[in-house]
Amino acid sequence: MNDFFELVVGATASGCIYGLVALSYLLITRPTGIINFAVGEWAMMAAFAGVVMLNDWNWPYPVGMAIMVVMMFALGWLTERLTVRPLVEKGAPPLAPILSLLGMLVVFRESISIGFGPDPQPVPAAFGFGRLELGWLAGSYQSFFTIALTLTVFAAAWFFFERTLHGKSFEAVAIDRRAAAWMGIHLGRVTAISFAMGAVVAGVAGVLAAPNVSAHYLMGMPLAIQGFTALVIGGVGRVEGALLGGLILAFVEQMTVRYAPVPPGLAMGVPLLLLILFLLVRPKGLLTAREGRT
Amino acid sequence: MRRSWPWWAALVLLSALAFGLGSYQNDVYRKLLLWITLALGYNFLFGIAGQVAFSHFSFYGLGAYSVVIGITYLGWPLPLALLASMVFCVAVAWAVAYPSTRLEGFYLALATLAFAQLFIVVLNEGGQITGGTGGLANYRLPDVGGYRIQGPAYTVVIVALMLFTFAVLWRLDRSHFGRACRAARDNPEAAAAMGVDVRRTRILAYTITSTLAGLAGMVYAFVDNTVNPSIFGLENVFLLLFMIIIGGIGRAAGAVVGAVLLFLLPFVLSPWIGHHHALVFGWVMVLVVLFQPKGLMGLWDQAQHWGRKQSPQPAVQGPTHG
Repeated sequence: MNDFFELVVGATASGCIYGLVALSYLLITRPTGIINFAVGEWAMMAAFAGVVMLNDWNWPYPVGMAIMVVMMFALGWLTERLTVRPLVEKGAPPLAPILSLLGMLVVFRESISIGFGPDPQPVPAAFGFGRLELGWLAGSYQSFFTIALTLTVFAAAWFFFERTLHGKSFEAVAIDRRAAAWMGIHLGRVTAISFAMGAVVAGVAGVLAAPNVSAHYLMGMPLAIQGFTALVIGGVGRVEGALLGGLILAFVEQMTVRYAPVPPGLAMGVPLLLLILFLLVRPKGLLTAREGRT
Repeated sequence: MRRSWPWWAALVLLSALAFGLGSYQNDVYRKLLLWITLALGYNFLFGIAGQVAFSHFSFYGLGAYSVVIGITYLGWPLPLALLASMVFCVAVAWAVAYPSTRLEGFYLALATLAFAQLFIVVLNEGGQITGGTGGLANYRLPDVGGYRIQGPAYTVVIVALMLFTFAVLWRLDRSHFGRACRAARDNPEAAAAMGVDVRRTRILAYTITSTLAGLAGMVYAFVDNTVNPSIFGLENVFLLLFMIIIGGIGRAAGAVVGAVLLFLLPFVLSPWIGHHHALVFGWVMVLVVLFQPKGLMGLWDQAQHWGRKQSPQPAVQGPTHG
């Protein structure tokens, strides 16, 4: 039974990371309709920022985290400015930004591979590699920290969308771009901020995931795939959907690895099957968007 | 085909080239031809039918693996193995296309991406049948009619494959089906109103191009005489995507130009940048999408346009390309 509860904590922590990546997709795709496969590479780049600041330079964790957030905000902003905005302004087909972002994905990954080499690099955990027991629930410090930080991020995202005027303007753009523009909402700014915030959230996911998997230039693609699986499960309509999808994915994944009588390699296929299943049966996800209020 | 002589001339010329090359150059030449074959098929699927699919290399792998498994593990004669692989590719392609073409837009990309990843998982975990992560080796092309096809003779097979793929897609592109594909890509509702069965068109386009990729895979299986999971992963799909976009999306000539360029560039660039040519490709891809969405073929059009402007005839005023 203890073993089971330990699994619950571990799965919740991985689910939180998937949920953050899904949130990163969602922040971008909601107002713009763009699926940005490079979110995994953003997470990877943030993990390498963690390697440099937290491991090589030994800066305190909160300082490193704060600088990482600023850097990712700038990176997301620049990515939108340089590779998405010109296409939108030209009236290019909706596929064009997705293709240029795929190009950036390769650029990001290869730049890191040149800069840091192909070997995995360590990223320290927030509170070291200790173990915490809360009654029956037991897990590493990092697991609990991941869960707490993810809940904070999601609470902030929820507050932003539900309680602030800026958040409402995002929602308005998501519901109807043209109408939103007529209401005086600056579409360019909304898009830029959605990319910048998406990059920050992806960066947080990367730094949280890195202590367990080590920073590696190829770590982005698996995260990107798990993230959008979580997004498809939860649905692109609601912020909570991303977290719910991430948790479902992680639990299915870990329960199969632990309890199902299949080799661990095949268990890696389970999330993919789950993704295909959801795409076929319920492509809109579990939580659907609220109807526009009249 | 009414005028088939250009195809035969191309077959003779491209085949003759193989006999003039050394064994290393022949190897490079074969792979170049296979990339062109794949790029042509992917161009039809992505550029003409407008389906964002990441599964093209999975079918290439499916063809390669199934024919090898047919002749080794199952011990079938080559014609039976080829036929069975073909049927298998059609069946899998249809099984993927039938449900996933219902999905709009990027969900198709996600579904095919999941399929591509799942294929790699199956290859890695297939145990004795797929040879796991190491793949399959130690087999060779069975003799055909008592004759062993190897060296430049096998290159001729690949030339024929490439031209066959080209011819099939060329004909399709110019047929009613090709126009239906373009219509379904540009405006599905209007296409449906004009009597195009959009769903059926999409399923057919996916199945045909994926099967052609499978056919190329069957031929590829005997190029290196080894198949392993790493060849058929996502990396190469990205490269394929870059090829047709940099070359000029939706045009067969663009696919050929892109494939030749991106396949040969690493050989040219390696003295300067080693194995980091992917970084160059990524930047070129971004720049092409931003500044020259019609790719290198668009540049070619502009050059021709410019050439006409220089000539004494009065230039036509109008929007330029790009």
